[in-house]
Amino acid sequence: MRLASLVHLASLNLRSDRRGTILNTAAACVGAAALVFFVALGMGVGQAARLLFPGDARLIEVVPGAVSLGAALGGGALDDGAMERLRELPGVQGAWRRLSLRVPIAASRAPEGVRMNWPPGFTVQVPVVGVDAGLVASDLQPGRRFDDPPAGEPIPVLASRRLLEVYNKTIAPAWNLRRLPAGIDLVGLQIPVQVGFSIIPLKTEEKVYDARLALAGLSDRVPLYSLAVPVETVRRLHREYGKSDAGYSSVVLELARPDDVPSAAAAVRRMGFAVDEGERAIAERVGLAITVVAGALALLALLMTALAALAIAQSLSASVRARTRDIAILQSLGATAGDVRALVLAEAALVGLAGGVLGVLIAWLAARGVDAAALRFLPDFPFRPTTFFQFPPWLFALGVGVSASAALLGALAPAALAARIDPARAIS
Amino acid sequence: MISLRHITKCFRDGEREVVVLRDLDLDVAAGAFTAVVGPSGSGKSTLLYVAGGLDADYEGEAVVAGRDLRALSARERAAFRNVSVGFVFQSFNLLPALPAVENTMLPGLFAPPGVPAPSIGQLRIRAMEALDRVGLADKASRLPAHLSGGERQRVAIARALLSRPAVLLADEPTGNLDAVSGEAVIQLFSAMVRDGVTVLVVTHEERVSAAAGRVLHLEEGRLR
Repeated sequence: MRLASLVHLASLNLRSDRRGTILNTAAACVGAAALVFFVALGMGVGQAARLLFPGDARLIEVVPGAVSLGAALGGGALDDGAMERLRELPGVQGAWRRLSLRVPIAASRAPEGVRMNWPPGFTVQVPVVGVDAGLVASDLQPGRRFDDPPAGEPIPVLASRRLLEVYNKTIAPAWNLRRLPAGIDLVGLQIPVQVGFSIIPLKTEEKVYDARLALAGLSDRVPLYSLAVPVETVRRLHREYGKSDAGYSSVVLELARPDDVPSAAAAVRRMGFAVDEGERAIAERVGLAITVVAGALALLALLMTALAALAIAQSLSASVRARTRDIAILQSLGATAGDVRALVLAEAALVGLAGGVLGVLIAWLAARGVDAAALRFLPDFPFRPTTFFQFPPWLFALGVGVSASAALLGALAPAALAARIDPARAIS
Repeated sequence: MISLRHITKCFRDGEREVVVLRDLDLDVAAGAFTAVVGPSGSGKSTLLYVAGGLDADYEGEAVVAGRDLRALSARERAAFRNVSVGFVFQSFNLLPALPAVENTMLPGLFAPPGVPAPSIGQLRIRAMEALDRVGLADKASRLPAHLSGGERQRVAIARALLSRPAVLLADEPTGNLDAVSGEAVIQLFSAMVRDGVTVLVVTHEERVSAAAGRVLHLEEGRLR
């Protein structure tokens, strides 16, 4: 039987049983809609979480051990020697220093190059951490340098990409400040600061002088509430203010593959250092929670699809029994057992395809509805996504494919039942 | 055209075996109009199902339209039913949900491999021609429920003619028809015979057997 004939006859049969066709299509539609909706939701929320916690799965942050038995056991301070040993661990591609500045820096004027209603008398303590240029090299804007500048030149700084979002969504509204433009527009702006000044009583250094920080880029590798400067600048300021450099605050190791992280972390601990799970651990836990919840919902949707397949199987079985004589007539006209089987399967496939297409459409419309409701009713929190869903093209194909496959699976037994009909007995 | 030799067909009724056709022989020449008469339950329909390749569970030899039916596989028997024979039944056996033209098109949808398969459009044109031959072109879009008994039987005949079969097998074709409709069906059969179609009708109606060129009596499973 040719495909065109098969589709023609299957369509006629489906049209002749409108009620059954509508019910079966609805069953397939619900399964497909639920599957596509939940998978799109899981992917969308996962994407939003990655924006909120942009942890790089290949990075681990090494910090001095909480209890150290000293350099004799390989632990102790995170100095240059420790750096070399960490660099030689298997799987390590790079090791970069972080050194917290222990000289206070404060900003009491608006940044230059951006329109901002800085409140009179408002002073912000600026936490600063020194980082190796290699850690943030990929985040520097073209033409920007990240090294300790000559005296009188602005100090290059990098800010966390997320800090801008947090400022615009929480700090600015709370303090009635003007919101800052997005990312790239800010690069180059200069922040007047006072080096040595602290808003905490008795913490201001004896020597206080004016300087400028110049924004060289935004990076996910800078701690959220700090500005990153070249590590050489931190060491220079420590020398200027007589602060000792007993060791680095932390060392960031970049591994070849995320799979190398557990073994590298274990090796770091054996060396007497600790691993700061911090944000990376949160990102992993959030990612895992989202994966588990999305997986459970997708499983539920698959269960609904399986139930739809069962409903279709039951309905088609009843339909085949009711059409025993009709099928025998087709056999008397030349239909083979294979034709009859194919006819029942084609009817199921058409129902599954129609249900799948409808289901995908409903899922997409429901997602748009949820997004519109979220936009209207949810507060404008940092990193609030414009959509909680992701619909890659393959997801549409998955919805339709799963629906059609489920319908076909459900039709296997009824098709076999139809193919076994004895035309002579059924007609007589 | 039809040659049945030593056909024996049994049914099992619980523990009892019922012999319906007993060592039956039948020869029908090409282009002949033959009627088989006999009382209800005498095995007339069974005889047609054997000759039409619908029933393969029998003993003996059956050669119809040059095909040895015992030698055919199930798939080949289906192709034989599609190409070589046309069936007309007492209860019309139209699909109730399909309009007359779609019912008439059905055999064309199952064209076996090796037979040129017309497109759906071509098939519709051929079905309309077949309906025109039986005088129902103007009722092509009607469902069987909206046709009279005679009209339904004419649709069934148009369907049987679609594949231009060599043999037409009719099972009590006028059994559910009034005198006028029955006469119209008989005239259609006669016209088909004039076109060279071999017609084998089983009936218990005098008016049908009177139109046939040869009448055989089926009694106790044998033809006399």
